[in-house]
Amino acid sequence: MIIDAHMHVDDIPALGWKMEASLCVERLDEAGIDRGVVMTIVDAPEVNPDAIELVARACAAYPDRLWGLARIHPWYGDESAALLERAFELGFKGLKLHPVSTIAHPSGEDTLRLIRQAAAHSAPTLFHCGDEPLTTPLAVAEAGAACPEATIILGHMGGYFHVDEAIEVAERVPNLVLETSAMPYPAKIREAVERLGAERVIYGSDGPVCSPRIEVEKVRLAGLGADAERLVLGGNALRLFEAVR
Amino acid sequence: MIVDSLAYLGEAISGPSASAADLIDAMDGAGVDRAVVVPAKPRGYHLGPANDLLAEAVNDHPGRVTGLARVDPNLGDEACAELERALGELGLRGLFLHPWEETFRVSAPFVDAVVDVARSHSVPVVIAAGYPWLSEGLQVGDLARRFPEVRFIATNGGQINISGLGQTDVELTLAACPNVAVQTASVYREDFLENVVERFGADRLLFASAFPLLDMSLEILRAHWMHVDDAQRSAVLGGNAADLFAL
Repeated sequence: MIIDAHMHVDDIPALGWKMEASLCVERLDEAGIDRGVVMTIVDAPEVNPDAIELVARACAAYPDRLWGLARIHPWYGDESAALLERAFELGFKGLKLHPVSTIAHPSGEDTLRLIRQAAAHSAPTLFHCGDEPLTTPLAVAEAGAACPEATIILGHMGGYFHVDEAIEVAERVPNLVLETSAMPYPAKIREAVERLGAERVIYGSDGPVCSPRIEVEKVRLAGLGADAERLVLGGNALRLFEAVR
Repeated sequence: MIVDSLAYLGEAISGPSASAADLIDAMDGAGVDRAVVVPAKPRGYHLGPANDLLAEAVNDHPGRVTGLARVDPNLGDEACAELERALGELGLRGLFLHPWEETFRVSAPFVDAVVDVARSHSVPVVIAAGYPWLSEGLQVGDLARRFPEVRFIATNGGQINISGLGQTDVELTLAACPNVAVQTASVYREDFLENVVERFGADRLLFASAFPLLDMSLEILRAHWMHVDDAQRSAVLGGNAADLFAL
């Protein structure tokens, strides 16, 4: 089974971006992927109070193909917590945080509260983890160290210039998992598997606008061997997301 | 003909290095007919000897590689003289600027001197683009506007950001500067590439791998698997590079 752990559904006229659930499924089919994990581009309750429902509608339309992650803005205290709880009632599989859009540092108390709330549901938190301030591996690792009970996924595993740093911090902080989307170096996926173990690397595409087909091929080009490749492409994600309650 | 419009050759001071034999092996594996090559930043720092070595590799593989001269605009007249030498005596076919590795803002006025040499030889200018502070999309456009008769090619789709935060800047440059094209290497979001073709034309996009920094077998898929028609794909994969570099 192949699971794409990082996809988006949203409709943002200001950016001209329209990412429909049907396009996600079309791209999954094109790549031979069984299931995608979808999230919005913006956060609830701001700038989109409807963000949780938008993802819920996408998953309801394709219940055998899509799971949801709740993208929550940490600044809104009890309102943020209630939104996350609502998401788990709807069957969501975890929390997504993008500190570039929220200007909320991963180590901030508001953020840690949401991560711990997700962990109480045995649910992971997926961070955007790239080259921008607030999102670097060292910054996200602060959250991982503060919440050892939580599984923290480093989406993009450091982007373009922070990939080595992502592998290094994951060696030091055992509850960090690296996610492969859009990062352009197949050899670094192999290095991550060799240094961390295949159980701590998961496939994602950042589709549908990043190509899930190309992103799967990137994992295959890493030359992991059959067992490790199965874990990275789907086995690990299945284990992580099926544990959510 | 499939043309990789950017690969690096030579022993690099940091990161991976590649010989001409390494490059030819990668090209054969990925089904690439020709490559446009530039010197990697050499361990000795001096770009003149690196241009010499590149020219030797070009002469050794005349049907497979075409070379561009790399100079450092910080060196002023010395850079202009080296570019004149490389385009004349060495027979290289364009100018390559790496604002990140040589540390200069690509839109700084002093860069004009070397671009003017390229203009006088009617050769294109390839810019290592998308690097923060030094070669952002609008900075490339700022330079390109001063030389409307020169063809500029920005690497990495003109932006290196895994949220795509610089893509609007690149689109503004493409809209304002018909003399600018972008390459496919490492681009975040395949729909950005498809949008360049749809909105600005297939002649504004060139396949590039940035080998050995990136994996040629992966990078070529960005062009092979784009959702465009066959004529557009053919232009991106090689037709545009053949025109720009007079292959």
